[in-house]
Amino acid sequence: MEIKFSIRRHDPMDRENPGPYYREYVVEAAEGMTVLDALLKISEEEDPTLAFRRSCRSAICGSCAMTVNGFARLTCNLQVIPEYEKMGAMKIEPLANHRTVKDLVVDMAPFWEKMEKVAPFLMPAGGSETNQVTIEDQARIDESQRCIMCGCCNAECNSLEIDERFIAPAASAKAWRFAGDVREGHQAKRLERLSEEHGIWDCVRCLHCTQYCPKDVKPLKQIESLRSAAMKAGVLDNPGAKHVEAMADSVERFGRLDEGRHDLQDTGFLRSLGMIPLG
Amino acid sequence: MRAAIEAARCGLDTALVTKIYPVRSHSVAAQGGINSALKDTDSWEAHAFDTVKGSDWLGDQDAIEAMCKEGPGDILELEGMGAIFSRDIKGHIAQRPFGGAGYPRTCYLADRTGHALLHVMYEQVLKHGVFIYDEWHVTRLVVEGGKVSGVIAMELDTGKLHRLRSKSVIMATGGYGRVYRTTTNALSSTGDGLGLALDAGLPLMDMEFVQFHPTVLKRTGILMTEGARGEGGFLLNSLGERFMEKYAPKVKELASRDVVSRAEQTEIEEGRGVDGCVLLDLRHLGADTIKSKLSQIRELAMDFAGVDPIEAPVPVKPGAHYSMGGIQADMDGQTGIPGLFAAGECACVSVHGANRLGGNSLLEAVVFGRRAGKKASEYAESAGLTPFPDSALCDAASEVAGILKREKGERVYALRDEMAGVMEEHCGIFRSRERLGKGLERIREIKERYGKAALADRGDRFNAELLHMLELGSMLDASEAILVSALHREESRGSHFRTDFPKRNDAEWLKHTLVAKRGNDFSIGYKDVKITRFKPEERKY
Repeated sequence: MEIKFSIRRHDPMDRENPGPYYREYVVEAAEGMTVLDALLKISEEEDPTLAFRRSCRSAICGSCAMTVNGFARLTCNLQVIPEYEKMGAMKIEPLANHRTVKDLVVDMAPFWEKMEKVAPFLMPAGGSETNQVTIEDQARIDESQRCIMCGCCNAECNSLEIDERFIAPAASAKAWRFAGDVREGHQAKRLERLSEEHGIWDCVRCLHCTQYCPKDVKPLKQIESLRSAAMKAGVLDNPGAKHVEAMADSVERFGRLDEGRHDLQDTGFLRSLGMIPLG
Repeated sequence: MRAAIEAARCGLDTALVTKIYPVRSHSVAAQGGINSALKDTDSWEAHAFDTVKGSDWLGDQDAIEAMCKEGPGDILELEGMGAIFSRDIKGHIAQRPFGGAGYPRTCYLADRTGHALLHVMYEQVLKHGVFIYDEWHVTRLVVEGGKVSGVIAMELDTGKLHRLRSKSVIMATGGYGRVYRTTTNALSSTGDGLGLALDAGLPLMDMEFVQFHPTVLKRTGILMTEGARGEGGFLLNSLGERFMEKYAPKVKELASRDVVSRAEQTEIEEGRGVDGCVLLDLRHLGADTIKSKLSQIRELAMDFAGVDPIEAPVPVKPGAHYSMGGIQADMDGQTGIPGLFAAGECACVSVHGANRLGGNSLLEAVVFGRRAGKKASEYAESAGLTPFPDSALCDAASEVAGILKREKGERVYALRDEMAGVMEEHCGIFRSRERLGKGLERIREIKERYGKAALADRGDRFNAELLHMLELGSMLDASEAILVSALHREESRGSHFRTDFPKRNDAEWLKHTLVAKRGNDFSIGYKDVKITRFKPEERKY
C-alpha cells in the first residue's frame, strides 16, 4: 500500500533554505512496517539528508520519539498502516515543547537538565548491605521506574508549554522513583525542593503525560504521589499545598467548596486582590 | 559507564564519549537478568563450572573465577546504588533459572533487567559528575610512542572533529550484531571499537564465536528473552513436538544457547519449521505470569509480530545476538597498548569462551567495567600525559574530507545490506570451509567497493549517512575478522559449528584465536587457554 508521508524539514543553521517546510515522500508500506522502518527506508533509499534519532528499534532505548499526526509517539512500535487508516494521514514532526536542532532531531539538553535537578540517584539512609524490600514497597515505584526518557510526556505537557522552567512530568516521575523508594534516606529534603516554584504544584493535571506515555509510567499519578507525600511530610508552605488545605478546610466546615475563600487562603490577602478581575 | 563511575570514584577527571546518549546504549535492551551465586545453597564455584562448561572449555578459568567470586559483591553494590530487582516473598533479591545453569541464580527485574541496571549506571554517572560528550562518535584512537594519548571524535550535531586528550582510554563500544541481517542488536551496534582497535594494531580474540540467540522475532530480529523459557516456556516444531527433548533430554529448552539455536535450525532445515520459524509457546504459563513477569515480551510480540502470547505461540528463530570475541584484554581490561583498556562486549577477557551463558553479559560488564575503571585510574595516576600529535587530527580530517569529496559511487546502505546478507548466508550457525571461503571472498570484494562508495548527503549536521559510512568500515573489518578466524578453526566448539569438522578437537584446538590487521591483510595467531580447576570434559545438556 502506497502511503504519503509529510515530514517537517528544518535546519536552522542552513542559510539558504532553513525552513521549516514540509516535504512529501511516498512509501510502499508493507504489513507490520513501523513508522521508524518507513523513515529508515526514506533516508536509505530516497533522501539521506533527513535527520532523526534511532537505536534499539524495540521501544526500550527512547531515541525515536516524534510527533506523529499531532501526538507524541515512539515511532519504532507504531505501525504505519493502522495509524494511517485511523488518522487518514501520516504527518511527522519533531517533538513539541523542544527546540528543533535539525528536522526531527530536537534539543534534549533541557530534558536532561530537568532530570539532573531532581538528584536522580538513591541517597540511602544507612549503610545496610542487605536491604530487604517487600514486593508491596517495590510496587509503589514500579511504574515510575519504567521510564525510558523518550520525552513524549514533556512534549505534550501543557504546563511546560507556558513555563519552560517547570520541572515537567518525566523528571517528576523520576523524583518519585526515589522519594517513594523505601531505601531512600532524604525523602523530606527531596519533597521540599520539589514543592518549590516550577515544581510539582505547577502541574495543571491535564493528564496528557499519562495519556501519551508509551511505557505506562503514569507521570501524573507519580506527581500526585509526590504531592500527597509532601503534605504528609509537613511541606505545607506553598500555594499548592495551601490550596489543598483550603479545600479540605472548606469541605469540613461548610460541606462545600467556597471558591472565594480559596484565593485568600492560598495566596494571602494582598495577592488575592489581584484575582478579582478573574472572578 | 561502570568503568567511568569507578574512575570518578578514584578521584579522576572522567568523561564519557558516546555516539548516542548514555541511556540509549543497547545494554538497555538486555531482558533476562544477571547471574550471581547469592544463596548459601549455591556457590561461586558452581557458577564458574557452569560458565566454563557453557564456554565449551574455551573460557579462561582465572577470569571466570574472578567474575563468579566478585559477582555477588557487585550485585549487592548495584542494589545499594538503587538498582531495583524483583524480590522474593521475604524481600530478598529473587533469582530465576536460566539456560545452561545448574541453579536458579539469575537476578532480574521482570524482563527489563538491562533497562533497570543501565539507568542505575546513568544515575551514578550523574552523581559522580562524569562529563558526558553525547552524540560524539570516536573516529580514531591516538597512540603516540606506543602509548595512548586520547581519541579523535566527531560531534554529530556540527560535524566537527575534536581532539580529546587523556591519560587512559577505556573502550566499551559493545557488539557488532549489525553485521548480520537478523540480529537482536540495536541499529547502533556496529562494532566501532573493533575497527578502532584493529587500526591501532591490536589483536581481536575468538572472533569466530558469534552467539545466535534461539528466540528472536522473524522479521525484525527483536529479542524474546531466555527468561521466557526460564519461566517454563516450550519450543515446538510444526508437528507440535517439544523437539528439545531430542537434543537435550535433561534440560530441554534450558540447554545453552548454541545448542538450542542449532536444534532449531536443524528442525527448520529438515522441514519441521513453521514458515522459517519454530514456535515459542507460553500459553500454559497463564495470563498472570505472562503479564507480571514477561510483560515487555508480551508487548513486543503484540507490537512486532501481531501475536499475543497469552493466546497463541510466537514464531521465533535464531538471530545474531552477542559477540563472545573482541579486543584482547586481561582481567583488568588492559590491552596491548599502555593506557588503553577495553571492557564489556567489545572486549574478550575471555569469560565466555565459545559460548556465553544467558545472564553472564551484564555481569561481565559490571565486574570487568569496575576492574578496568580501577586499573585505568591507577595507570592515569602513575603515567604522564603523552604528547598528542597534530597529525592525528589532520589525518582524521582528511579521511572524512576524502569521503565527502567522492562524487560518484555506490551507496553505503546498499553495501551494508550486501555485507549483512553475506554474513548471514556464509557465516551463520552451520559453517564449512566452502561457505566461509566464499563469504570471505565476497566480504573482501565489498571492502574494495567500500573504498569507492560515495555519499548523497554532504552536509555537516547530523549526517547519518557519513556516520554509517564510518560504522560500515568497522563492520567490514569485524566481518573479515570473524570469517578469517572461523575459516582457520577446523573443529566445532560452542557456537562455532563446522559441518566439515563436526567434533570438538581439544588436542589441536583448545586455544584462543588471535587476529590482527597487518596492512590490508589479517594475520592469525593463537594463545593458550587458562585452565585452573575444571579439566575439559564432554559437554552434554
